[in-house]
Amino acid sequence: MIIAVSGKGGVGKTMLAALLVRTFSEDTSNLLAIDADPDSNLPEAVGVKVEKTIGDVREEILESRSRSPGSTLHDVLEGHVMDTIEETDRFDLLEMGRPEGAGCYCAVNHVLRAIIDRWAKDYDIVIIDTEAGLEHLSRRTTQDVDVMIVVTDSSKRGIETAKRIKVLASELDISFKELYVVVNRAADDMAEGIKKTLEEAGLKVLGTIPEDRNVLEFDYEGRPLTELPEDSPALQEVRRIKERLSAATGT
Amino acid sequence: MAEIPVDVGMIYEGERIRKNQMHAELAGPKSKGAELFRVAGDDVVEDGKVTVVGPDVQELPEGQPTPFGVFIRAAGEKLEEDLEGVFERRMHYYFNYIQGFMHLNSRDTIWCRISKDAVKAGVTFEHIGAAVMDLFKKEYDVIEKMDVTFYTEDKAVDEFIEQARAVYEKRDARLRGMKDEDVDVFYGCVLCQSFAPEHMCTISPERISSCGSISWFDGRAAVKVDPKGSLIEIKKGEVLDPVKGEYAGVNELTEKKSGGAVNRVFLHSIFGHPHTSCGCFEAIAFYIPEVDGIGVVHRNFKGTTPFGIPFSTMAGQTGGGQQLEGFAGIAVEYIRSPKFFIADGGHERLVWLPKELKERFYNDLPESVRDKIATEEDATDLDALKAHLEKVGHPVVSRWQEQAPAAEEKAPAAAEAPAATVPEITMPLSGNPVAGGGITITFKNAKIYAEKVIIKRK
Repeated sequence: MIIAVSGKGGVGKTMLAALLVRTFSEDTSNLLAIDADPDSNLPEAVGVKVEKTIGDVREEILESRSRSPGSTLHDVLEGHVMDTIEETDRFDLLEMGRPEGAGCYCAVNHVLRAIIDRWAKDYDIVIIDTEAGLEHLSRRTTQDVDVMIVVTDSSKRGIETAKRIKVLASELDISFKELYVVVNRAADDMAEGIKKTLEEAGLKVLGTIPEDRNVLEFDYEGRPLTELPEDSPALQEVRRIKERLSAATGT
Repeated sequence: MAEIPVDVGMIYEGERIRKNQMHAELAGPKSKGAELFRVAGDDVVEDGKVTVVGPDVQELPEGQPTPFGVFIRAAGEKLEEDLEGVFERRMHYYFNYIQGFMHLNSRDTIWCRISKDAVKAGVTFEHIGAAVMDLFKKEYDVIEKMDVTFYTEDKAVDEFIEQARAVYEKRDARLRGMKDEDVDVFYGCVLCQSFAPEHMCTISPERISSCGSISWFDGRAAVKVDPKGSLIEIKKGEVLDPVKGEYAGVNELTEKKSGGAVNRVFLHSIFGHPHTSCGCFEAIAFYIPEVDGIGVVHRNFKGTTPFGIPFSTMAGQTGGGQQLEGFAGIAVEYIRSPKFFIADGGHERLVWLPKELKERFYNDLPESVRDKIATEEDATDLDALKAHLEKVGHPVVSRWQEQAPAAEEKAPAAAEAPAATVPEITMPLSGNPVAGGGITITFKNAKIYAEKVIIKRK
């Protein structure tokens, strides 16, 4: 199952992705986390140090002229991508890294997509922390996303964005089987109301994550969110989100 | 021989063995290794034999990178040494077909892993070797005999890598020497059509794609894997001009893929119908009328060309899939090509290069001209360029003398040198159905002095 977590910047996208990595990796170590947001820090949030990104590979390939005439771009890139994947005991992590420079990336990106798509199939679960906004999805890293989760805060603007996403998604020709909304930092007494507003707009709400002091502290200290104590309200809600996802998709 | 205790089949191709599923890592970035396929004499190859120099699979240290070499020899009456590279590439696939065996990269960069499950099932190199030989023989009748040697002992791997590298070098030299004339097909690439809808790149042995990423060999591999993909086989068809590099097949496909916008392409000339430019070419070749020579500027060069404009400005004018006489988006690698604008005089017409490129390709440029090509250190404007070329006696200088009397009589010949001064320009603005009402008038680096410009509505 491929899960993409999206939403505008600062809504808690990376937190949700990191906690999904934690909860899903308790069931299987055959999990790949992809950090596709150059402005976020999924590796830190899941406690992994990344040596090399796909962006680095892209630049290296364009710079290097050492390729022997008989070898193909695919042959060369496959090993580079493999080299980029951080393999931990609990899960694997791939960081897309910096955005493209000025050169031509058409051919390299095309091949990179093919390689990542192929390998994503070998994992039980792939969790992608996508770039903020939605425009990136037309040039996304993975062709077929099973579940798209849109994270929003409880602000009017956030909710309006979530409502618009459904329309945007069809316009951008993004294929996914299900689209869900997760509300983050919702005050307890407001959660039900927000949920109702979203559901009236035809959106499925997968969960409402409460404000969690532990998350604030961990972020402040730069500690991985995957180490949140079990009684953290945010983690507990993500556990429920995970259960609902598993039930809905039959995994 | 015992049957291999794991599955073998195409479904395992691309199977990635993750660290926590892995028993042993062979070669790869943390160790060393190589693979080699050679055609050998019928008397040398011991059919079906598997030799292991060093520890076998079951004795490999768990979780540790091990040096690794694979050497396959094949014999057959119709086997040719030229095919070694193709067969060697098949090794990648066949090893991958084995469940629990991962194979990445090629040559002396191979990176393999054997899974815990495969080791538990009792797999040995004897099994792996036999399975790979079996796959080879099933696909290629021409292979009559085969044997395989695996190396896992440090010193033996070192020696094997040396031996393999010598073969790769010989093979590469042969491939680099491949000519457009040696093949019947080229490849067209339309990957960039999202940016330049009328652009198709033609890739021949002597013309790598403009982005520098796709060689003729890439094209050949890509159409096999994905015949309906962005890379398309072009049957060369009738050779319309062997020097300029004009082929009926290329013209036909270009016309089709450009929606009729471009119907003739010269692969190796900057005049007449030069190759179109996508937008993401690595470099631009530009004709400099004032010295009757060609300059090349690449994307990483931050200074200005002798035209007084930097790469970025020129790229903005050149790109978008248009065909623009006197300009062509190219890969920097094309500078090395023996066919480098051969119809226009080849490297002898090359008058200006950024220093970085000149240094990179110095040994590939003909001795007659390489010390005479100007860089930004010699000339940043046209006057300085002219003076420099004259001083060093660049081959283009002789063209000036030939052309000088003609130029006095009349404007320079149109085909060889786009007009620099024209007494009057009348542009027919009607009858352009493609433009659909819109009119495009483009002046590229033009110096036009007019007393009067009259635009009339008919």
